[in-house]
Amino acid sequence: MAKKDIKKALRDFWYGKPHSAEEGGRRLGELLEDKTQLYKHREWRGVKDTLYYFYMIWGYNYLHMVTDIIKYSNNPIDFLKGTWRYRWMGQTYLPVIHWFDRGLQGMRGEALAASAWHYRAMVSASIQQMCNFFNADTRLHHGKENNAYRHTILAKETTCGTLFYPWMDAGYRYVPIEMIPYFVTCHVNSHTVLNYIDAAQSIGLPGDPCPMCQAEAGIYVLDDVPDCSPMAITCNEACDGSVGTAILQDWFINKPLFALPLPMQFDDPLVKKYCMKEIEECWKFIEEQTGSPFSWESMVKRLELQNRLQRDEWEKWEVAGKTDYYPVNGVAQALFRIFSTQYGIQGDFWLEASEKVKKIMYKCVEKKINPFPQTRHRVIAWSCAPLYYSNWCTWAYNCWGLNTLINMDSLMFDMEMRTDSYENMLEDMATYHMWAPMRRMAVGGMHHIFELWEYMEKFNCDMVAMYDQLQCKGMQGVHGLFEDEFRRRDIKAFWMPHALPDCRTVSRAEIRSLINDYMTTVMHEEPLDPSLLDFDDSMTW
Amino acid sequence: MCKVSKFLLKFCGIVLLLNVGLFLVFFFDLDGKLLYRVVEPFLKRHYDNMDRKDPVKTPYDMEKFPKYKYDD
Repeated sequence: MAKKDIKKALRDFWYGKPHSAEEGGRRLGELLEDKTQLYKHREWRGVKDTLYYFYMIWGYNYLHMVTDIIKYSNNPIDFLKGTWRYRWMGQTYLPVIHWFDRGLQGMRGEALAASAWHYRAMVSASIQQMCNFFNADTRLHHGKENNAYRHTILAKETTCGTLFYPWMDAGYRYVPIEMIPYFVTCHVNSHTVLNYIDAAQSIGLPGDPCPMCQAEAGIYVLDDVPDCSPMAITCNEACDGSVGTAILQDWFINKPLFALPLPMQFDDPLVKKYCMKEIEECWKFIEEQTGSPFSWESMVKRLELQNRLQRDEWEKWEVAGKTDYYPVNGVAQALFRIFSTQYGIQGDFWLEASEKVKKIMYKCVEKKINPFPQTRHRVIAWSCAPLYYSNWCTWAYNCWGLNTLINMDSLMFDMEMRTDSYENMLEDMATYHMWAPMRRMAVGGMHHIFELWEYMEKFNCDMVAMYDQLQCKGMQGVHGLFEDEFRRRDIKAFWMPHALPDCRTVSRAEIRSLINDYMTTVMHEEPLDPSLLDFDDSMTW
Repeated sequence: MCKVSKFLLKFCGIVLLLNVGLFLVFFFDLDGKLLYRVVEPFLKRHYDNMDRKDPVKTPYDMEKFPKYKYDD
């Protein structure tokens, strides 16, 4: 072997292979098995980053998945029983580390560390929810309605966790019905949700509404929801498809249920007043069902923490928008934000992760470290993302140098909540409630969909990844408006069709092929890593 | 060699072996292969064959609970 080759081999061993093909490239696509995308062997990221991944991500997270169960579970045996009883549990919990692998593929140094802390917080929040389910589930306790059952408030996943803070000091826990059985499963293991979509259609429901609404109904049709609370709260988020789901839930839950409306035309001040009244009615319902009064102290305590998390996010956005030193990748940014804002402050995991990420970020700023040195385009992702391919942005960076800095879901709850008086808090609570996922800048957000241009400027983006949820009638209605505006403003944008959780409608390979076409035919660019251009991942988690 | 040194040597050896073993599992994605090829198919079969209640047979009794209206 020539001296030059030995030197290169040693350099590759110590630092990892370089990113781009021109530099001798790491060819990430060749590490993966065809179809399943299991690793032939995991990526060698250089000594430091490989050991970081081994100890601080792989080992640390496997270990903490166990310690989290011990921390949040009243009896760890219940967790095993839950795994045996519920499909979404068994199929989702097991491939968690491979969810990390997909999101963190090719990441190095600060980008690897910061993005992984976001993932860690999400895993911890998920385990807490699973334990809340199983601690209270009568099916796992011989039909007995135990103390945890009586202290659980079950609500639709799009009813924000913030609403339930007043009862947390009294030991009540909020459990979003579908956040784990539906939302998290789609990201971690895209096979699971297909059972629920098919189940909804098997009882004669049409297949053309939003597959999210179908899947949320399907988990009930398959009798796969824990019986963990004496009551339920539903809402109409995101659209009339969800109204249909809520009707089915009313039928199948068969318990006292409060339907909390989420107004479509939320800019109207009269609508806001109506919404404030509805929230107060919901609180009265909870008081009546639990026998526990609304606690202002409990509410303020958690709202202050939530505001702290929001201020952290603003700090991060400032760095993301004005510098090249923001260390969190697109998928870690998006999922952390939508998960934390929707679930709310139910534990210390969000703030802990946020502190760690801020520390890494300021290190990048001080030492002028660019965590994404191969960035060719700064991308903003708009509309609702494909849940089965939320890690597309990791692929897009590795293959094309497209760095997705921010996305619509992260920007929805862009506000602090006032805690100086009950009236101000209630007004802000109504705003927060109405700015729900898929609502503020999507279905119902007709005056806000074009906030895209402001955020593009704020985050200094030069390209838009425009999600196109094919079964969302609301956003399909504004497709042409975006086309016109992109042309008029001369904005580089590519469309990404998908069917939210259902990977059968538009496959991941089709999504990649559309981006590849755009990058070659419109942008006339060469891929950074050609091994990632075309591969078969049809059977992957 | 005193007993303490022997114990420390043995302990370090076990820790080292454990680390090497786990690293091999990690590097060759043996955890993923086991979960994908063995555990998941086994669990799927179990979930597919599970007896389930048919919730559609639950009567939809709309008058069973009050309206929960508090706006009077």
